[in-house]
Amino acid sequence: MKTVINEQNRRSFSSQVESMLHDKLAKCYQCGKCSAGCPVNFEMDYTPNQIIKMTELGMEDAVLNSKTIWLCVSCNTCSTRCPKGFEVTGIMDVLREIAEKKGITSKAEKEIQMFHEVFLDNVKSNGRIFELELVGKYKLKTRHLFRDMFLAPKMLEKGKLKMQGEKISGLNQIAKIFKDFE
Amino acid sequence: MARIGVFVCWCGSNIAGTVDVEKLREEAAKIPGVVSASDYKYMCSDPGQNSLRNVIKEQKLTGVVLAACSPHMHENTFRKAAVKEGLNPYFVEIANIREQVSWVHEDKERATAKAVDLMKMMVEKVKRDRPVEDVKVPLNKKALVIGGGISGIQAALDIANGGVEVILVEKEPSIGGRMIQLDETFPTLDCSSCIMTPKMVEVNQHPNIKLYTYSEVEDISGYIGNFKVKIKKKARSVVEKDCTGCGECWNACPMHKNVKSEFNLNLSERTAIYVPFPQAVPLIPVLDRSVCLHFKKGGKCQKCYDACGPKCINFDLQDEIIEETVGAIVASTGYDLMDTSMYGEYGYGKYKDVISGLQFERLLSASGPTEGVIKRPSDGKTPQTIVFVQCVGSRDPEKGVPYCSKVCCMYTAKHAKLFAHKVHGSQSYVFYIDIRSTSKGYEEFVRGTMEQDGAIYLRGRVSKIYEDGGKLIVKGADTLSGNQVEIAADMVVLATGVIPKKGSDKLAQMLGISYDKYGFYTESHPKLRPAESSTAGIFLAGMAQGPRDIPESVVSGSAAASKILGLFSKNEYEVEGTIANVNEATCVACFYCRRVCAYNAISKKEIKDRSGKVVKVVASVNPGLCTGCGACVNACFSKSIDVKGFMDDQIYAEIKALAI
Repeated sequence: MKTVINEQNRRSFSSQVESMLHDKLAKCYQCGKCSAGCPVNFEMDYTPNQIIKMTELGMEDAVLNSKTIWLCVSCNTCSTRCPKGFEVTGIMDVLREIAEKKGITSKAEKEIQMFHEVFLDNVKSNGRIFELELVGKYKLKTRHLFRDMFLAPKMLEKGKLKMQGEKISGLNQIAKIFKDFE
Repeated sequence: MARIGVFVCWCGSNIAGTVDVEKLREEAAKIPGVVSASDYKYMCSDPGQNSLRNVIKEQKLTGVVLAACSPHMHENTFRKAAVKEGLNPYFVEIANIREQVSWVHEDKERATAKAVDLMKMMVEKVKRDRPVEDVKVPLNKKALVIGGGISGIQAALDIANGGVEVILVEKEPSIGGRMIQLDETFPTLDCSSCIMTPKMVEVNQHPNIKLYTYSEVEDISGYIGNFKVKIKKKARSVVEKDCTGCGECWNACPMHKNVKSEFNLNLSERTAIYVPFPQAVPLIPVLDRSVCLHFKKGGKCQKCYDACGPKCINFDLQDEIIEETVGAIVASTGYDLMDTSMYGEYGYGKYKDVISGLQFERLLSASGPTEGVIKRPSDGKTPQTIVFVQCVGSRDPEKGVPYCSKVCCMYTAKHAKLFAHKVHGSQSYVFYIDIRSTSKGYEEFVRGTMEQDGAIYLRGRVSKIYEDGGKLIVKGADTLSGNQVEIAADMVVLATGVIPKKGSDKLAQMLGISYDKYGFYTESHPKLRPAESSTAGIFLAGMAQGPRDIPESVVSGSAAASKILGLFSKNEYEVEGTIANVNEATCVACFYCRRVCAYNAISKKEIKDRSGKVVKVVASVNPGLCTGCGACVNACFSKSIDVKGFMDDQIYAEIKALAI
């Protein structure tokens, strides 16, 4: 890919990310330890360290449209092992947030983005996850009604799929968190 | 009758693991003339040496053979032990059965057979050993330092402070070298001239230092302790003792437009009569006759002479040749920047705002052409975006040199840092292949440039630089993100690689020291004798030896000085006695030996009769220079040269021992 660096745009994007991240992009060694340990790296279009470098270079479009930011499962392996203590998981979060705000929908990883939306809706209304509702809404949204159907009995058996949802007591506090971010 | 003792060393399991040491001992005992054969776990240990001494004493040995490690390791140890028992040190011979047998073979039987052969050869050699005495060379306790940069200055000061007279020769009108051209120095950001000028002044004032600036070494002959040096003191056209350095002459000079300042690397102009920079040492101007109107237009202009108060300008001064005799020499000739014109794609020389790292130093320097304000050479505007390109010429076996210039990573980080400090809100980009920042505080310095001063580092080389609309468009790559990157810059600084100073190869030939294929002087041993050249009495310092930074240059200057002070702590220099010896009766004076000698150790000697008439000319070996390499022995048609300790009969006996 070819990138023409526009100093103004580069600065505005990288400083936006830095201020949301509370961390400095220049900290990164580019050693690649994050990418080396990432369990979903094989599916990514850019490795985590590339995302950091590209953000520093102001490659906004490429970064926000990348599969990587949606594929990240926030397992924190990268951040835990980073020699510079850089918030690798954090930058993925920040980039997803910026993409969402800009209304950028990922073409390749549309369903992951949908899952995030359903997940947050679920948390917003219940204060925690009600799996059956989450799965149902997600299936309706993606129209893959029968995918992974055979997992249901196993989950039921292990008590992972409850028939009735629960709401937490401090829902107003959850609402406040959402309000602060929306 | 020879009484030889053979001592077999196990070297723990190093030798004993592969060589049957007992068999070796038994075989030794069978050789005629061997009166004692023994083996021991570590011959070099104290008990091992003591047993050697006891056997020499009790058996009244006339020669000793050690079947042990390489003579490079312990020859000296065993010789000293033998000397204590009154044996000539050269009666100790070593059969190397470690490096040449046990370490390189696996088959125990065959390895043992080879060890037996080597041991037998040495027994035959030692039987024919004749006493050899070490040669003593008198020392002239005076040192010559060639090159007045930081390493030369350090060497000169250290030698002078040790109470030895020093002659410091500098080609340029002032000492200071490259370091005085720098602005601030990494990683502490000390101002270069602030830390350099006190040393320069100290050199000038030191009672033990004789300083020749604007001078060059013309010729050198002789050997350790006794070098004859011819120094050409170029005509300055200024009588040094009368000059006060007031500056009236260069202020009066009408030539102030057309001559580029070498010191400022063509970024400013100088007059025909000039001092290279305000803190020059000595502060005495030089008249550049190649541009001076007085010399070009038949003596019409003499404005400098008219302006000079003490009338110390003398247009008739001539080059002077000064002869000195010194005992040791330091070669610290420094470096030049590589010519980067082979990189047409970078446009150095074509675009005014593509400059070298050293030029950028001058732009940063308060004594520089812009008085420390960073301005573009093209239009004088302050740049907002600078792209730094590392490894220009270095690490490029195709167009440049394969080696790393070592200082560029650090000075580029420093440049980006100083640029951020001087121009607020500016941005620098650094293209690099690897960052090499291995000394104390260096890594932290580079990280600081990235993390605190906001320089963006891109891992990749720049492919092309071209001008477009007043900007320099830099096309590079960021291999870490896998992207082609294009940056519009106001200025580009090339981290140009370093090469040995022009003419340093000629000097090396004059000195008889070796240099590598790039022209850097080679040390006697890269690890264990880094301060010594291949020739005794000549020491190396600074960048002339290879890329290095200021602290390392200072250390190497001090190292050379300490070697010289150590050498001069004795009145004579002892050379190993195993050197070439000419049989004057048979020498036919063909001097083929002289042609093959790599050390200039052979000269013509005239043999005269009582009336002073020359009756014969023969080859004569200079013991100070001869290393006993034996090249002349092979070359001699009349078999008139032998190396002591390696006489023909000994070599033949060794071969015969092998044939039996």
